[in-house]
Amino acid sequence: MSTLRAAWHIAVKDIAIEWRTKTAFASGLVFAVLVLAVLFFSRDPTEVSSLAIAPGALWVTFTFAAMLGLNRAFLLEREMRAMDGILLTPAPRAAIFWGKFGANLAFVGAIEAISLPLFVLFYNVPIWPRLTELLLVIAMATVAFVAVGTLLSAMVVRTRYAELMLPLLLLPFLVPPLVGGVQLTASLLDGRHLSDISGWLKLIGAFDVASVTLAAVLFQVVLDE
Amino acid sequence: MTLRDRATRIARAGTVVTAVALLGVAGVYVRALAFTPVEVAQGEAQKIFYIHVPAAWAGLMAFFITGLLSILYLWLKDQRIDIAAAASAEVGVAFSVVILTTGPIWGKPIWGAWWTWDARLTFTLFTFLLFVGYLVLRGVLTDPGIRGRFSAVIGIMALVLVPFVHLTVYLFRTQHPAPIVLKPSRPSLPSEMLITLLTSVGVFTVLYVGFLMLRYALGLLREAREQELANDS
Amino acid sequence: MTPENGGFMVAAYVVAAVILTGYTVSLVIRIRRERRR
Repeated sequence: MSTLRAAWHIAVKDIAIEWRTKTAFASGLVFAVLVLAVLFFSRDPTEVSSLAIAPGALWVTFTFAAMLGLNRAFLLEREMRAMDGILLTPAPRAAIFWGKFGANLAFVGAIEAISLPLFVLFYNVPIWPRLTELLLVIAMATVAFVAVGTLLSAMVVRTRYAELMLPLLLLPFLVPPLVGGVQLTASLLDGRHLSDISGWLKLIGAFDVASVTLAAVLFQVVLDE
Repeated sequence: MTLRDRATRIARAGTVVTAVALLGVAGVYVRALAFTPVEVAQGEAQKIFYIHVPAAWAGLMAFFITGLLSILYLWLKDQRIDIAAAASAEVGVAFSVVILTTGPIWGKPIWGAWWTWDARLTFTLFTFLLFVGYLVLRGVLTDPGIRGRFSAVIGIMALVLVPFVHLTVYLFRTQHPAPIVLKPSRPSLPSEMLITLLTSVGVFTVLYVGFLMLRYALGLLREAREQELANDS
Repeated sequence: MTPENGGFMVAAYVVAAVILTGYTVSLVIRIRRERRR
């Protein structure tokens, strides 16, 4: 079986399992609304405009969403016995990473897709002139989040303290795409074009390449029995 | 020679190296405090530099070595390499505590605030957090094979991705420079200051090696006990 | 005018000394404990 097809099957299976219960998805959404609301209210509106805190609020929301999505890895735990089954099939090992990566991307992307309109609604920000560029930035940063997160959640799921270990290990690695995402969002909402602020974009791009490659390669090490 | 014997030998040697290095640190203290001129614009607080910078050098070296040993471990699968990598990480954390405490104490009189998110200190903060996470992960993994592999994964990720963290902070700082109260210029150091600095860097390097040997010996002793317990049962 | 900030220097040097000797002691104690087993 080709890697791509095996990966597809694994991704679809993961998404289907999540879709049945929708717990993590629902929690992710509730979190998004709460974080956006709390950050909106945690300022003096006469001193700090909603536009000023908007980029930070958006990306904190996305980070929480990503971590909730990755905590789906708990499903992996029940599956870990099932993982032996997957490992017995002719599916190539690399496919397991790409399948998990794809499923996590879909999941985190779904939460982001719903958080973004809420964000625009609550913060009243002018995203329309820069929408495509903003979507590109979000996509690039999310790839990094999910690549590193997929690898780490695979490791952390074996420990008793998975929910604590994942943020502890993940967040330091997320600093480049997170800070880059916030800076780029702030510039875009200010009306600038991506071509003017290419420094951050190149940083996130390079980080994407490095993190996805590294995650794909090191995932094999994690799976090794 | 049994593992325990080898470990004991390394512990003894490490104790000597560390003792010599600590004497060296004492010597640096004397030289820096009593025999190195005071920088006119910044005052005596500038002398913190002679401890802070060498500690930063040692910390960086420690993490770099952990990263390299991680790659080596995945390639050679020798348990002792994993023990050495973990030893270097712990020593790195110790030096990081020195950096993160002396940094703000230096920053307050020079930059006006205890913490200014400057590139080097922020970078140290994140590597510190990463390696604390590394050590915590090791703490919760009981199987030595899994512990070794997973630690190596974190070590390699840190080696490759942490430079990006540095770039991030640097890029942020170039866009949003930190306020400066006193303006520490960066001309070449007068020779007395340079000698003090370089001596201190040398001494801290030896101290790193001494700590590494001791921590490695400790790891080997623990491994020896694990093996003895396994053989008995 | 050279500022009067010697206090900071002393504090930093003391803190660094405490941390480094503290870590040394921790290593030595842990090794001793391990060797006694």
